[in-house]
Amino acid sequence: MNHRIAAAVQAKPAAVQTKLNLSGVSHTYGDGESVLTVLDNLSCSVAAGELVAVVGPSGSGKSTFLSIAGALLTPTRGEVSIGGRSLAGMNERQLADLRLHEIGFIFQGANLLPYLKAEEQLRFVARLGRADKAQAARRADELLERLGLSERRKHYPDKLSGGERQRVAVARALMNDPSVILADEPTASLDADRGRDVTRLLAERVKAEGKAGIIVTHDERILSYCDRVLRLEAGRLREE
Amino acid sequence: MFLALREIRFSKTRYVLIVAIMLMVSFLVLFVTGLANGLGNATSSAIRNMPADHFIVQQDSDDRFARSELHAEQVKQAQAIAGTEGAQPLGVRMTTVTREGTEGRIDIALFGVQAESWLVPETVEGQPLSTAAAGEVLADLDLKKSGVKIGDTMVDGATGLKWTVGGFTENRSYSHMPAVWMNEKDWAAYRSELMAARGGETDTAYNAIALRISNAQADQLRNAVPDADVISQSQAISAIPGHKAEQSSLLMMIVFLYVISAFVLAVFFYVITIQKTAQFGILKAIGAKTRYLAGSVIAQVLVLSVGSLAVGVGLVLIMKSMLPAAMPFSLGAGTIALSCGLFLGVALLGGLASVVKVAKTDALDAIGRAGA
Ligand SMILES: Nc1ncnc2c1ncn2[C@@H]1O[C@H](COP(=O)(O)OP(=O)(O)OP(=O)(O)O)[C@@H](O)[C@H]1O
Ligand SMILES: [Mg+2]
Repeated sequence: MNHRIAAAVQAKPAAVQTKLNLSGVSHTYGDGESVLTVLDNLSCSVAAGELVAVVGPSGSGKSTFLSIAGALLTPTRGEVSIGGRSLAGMNERQLADLRLHEIGFIFQGANLLPYLKAEEQLRFVARLGRADKAQAARRADELLERLGLSERRKHYPDKLSGGERQRVAVARALMNDPSVILADEPTASLDADRGRDVTRLLAERVKAEGKAGIIVTHDERILSYCDRVLRLEAGRLREE
Repeated sequence: MFLALREIRFSKTRYVLIVAIMLMVSFLVLFVTGLANGLGNATSSAIRNMPADHFIVQQDSDDRFARSELHAEQVKQAQAIAGTEGAQPLGVRMTTVTREGTEGRIDIALFGVQAESWLVPETVEGQPLSTAAAGEVLADLDLKKSGVKIGDTMVDGATGLKWTVGGFTENRSYSHMPAVWMNEKDWAAYRSELMAARGGETDTAYNAIALRISNAQADQLRNAVPDADVISQSQAISAIPGHKAEQSSLLMMIVFLYVISAFVLAVFFYVITIQKTAQFGILKAIGAKTRYLAGSVIAQVLVLSVGSLAVGVGLVLIMKSMLPAAMPFSLGAGTIALSCGLFLGVALLGGLASVVKVAKTDALDAIGRAGA
């Protein structure tokens, strides 16, 4: 897909930069008698400006994979690096900081805080990251504008449609200018059109801002917006 | 604070309700505290406001002044150790008087002291107590509420002796009776009259000796004065009839109110924290630290309790200004500050369960879950 290269070049003219890298990652649940190996020597890397879809049957370990890539779960074996930094040896606080600055999450549901207005959702993550206030306000304005939410900035999540909510979530994930965007079934609660809208906007942003994006999904209709589709099977990722 | 305040703004009803409960509890805490203080003053202010640190009372008198009888010999022995300044004889006797020319009886507590000694309270109106002015007494301002004015004469029901009110002092009551202070000559006359009426031997003895001494001297006195006990001021106060019973039942109410407020807050915050587990998971996943989230919960507890305390203190102060003067109620700024501090401490304790819950929430919960 040619626009992938175009975006990558735009973000970093020198070379295609790897933003997320997993190498030799294995993960097992349980101990003693009942061990379940979910990931088995999995390797994967995602470059700046690249949006990758991860598909696979239920229980194949997609959420586990995403948790590991998102520094929420430490793999049993293997190495993860995000934005060029290896996660090995980091403590809880350092991991939290890394998630705050280097990773943008978009979850399936319950994504937004019900008591914050759309623009406050964005300002909040900027505050967490101790960003400059004026700069954060500008960034929030710009993101809301790009995602077509300017009219909705003062609305609480319960006054937004499902699609709008997920777009706010996309904007929030981008707010702190992370290296990596991770989405866990972001379109599961949306109808086909809204799902495509959200994914299109996400893909657009990932390319424009040179992020590495991963979408875990069951939704076949959004795969066309992704640069690569990886299938998780038997604990490994296989290119489709 | 960012999250704490915005959540309160969003879920107004919920938080208004909890503030209302907290408000009522804090109001009750302050009100009962004021009542306990007021009653405490009414039973003991005459002793509490005495600048004495110890008292000598007769052995086996249960530390009660009214039951204790001391002889002139014992006073001398005490003064030999503590000095004439350090040991002041004190007579205490409850009696009933009438204002001359009227019928109404008034209960008073008579205090016989050496005029011009440190035991005599400050005069706020009229003449101070003096050795020269025979039959002139210094009365607590409460007597004024019974219609007694300066220059009025009071007739003792038991002995028929007459005393003229020369001046007023304030905040001196004993066992819910206004204290009336007389010089030693009048006290001696009163005692001998009393004994004569009873047919007993005349005796000018006092009931207690007020002391201003060091602890070492107190130990010395314990050994030196026969048939007597050296007790502290607080022992003397809690031995006043009715004082302990009133204070302990009110104290129990106050303690329960604190416990109730801790529980109400704990349950309230725990329930909403449990409801928000998914939110906390997401917040942790996007990089919020436990300390930040715990701080947010604590901030809410503080905002709610400070808010309800502020209104509670306001209400109590309004209430105080409307209470009838006869109502024993006393609530100073120091007591208010102390109660508020305690209330805040208890509220924070109540928020602790929620903080633990927040700390235990796992960021992993955010992924792979449809959530609420
Ligand atoms: N904390 C855990 N302890 C034990 N086993 C777990 C745990 N989490 C997940 N598993 C198991 O690991 C396997 C992979 O789980 P995972 O949630 O990653 O699957 P998934 O591909 O995301 O599935 P789905 O598409 O249904 O969301 C499943 O068999 C699951 O039962
Ligand atoms: Mg899953």
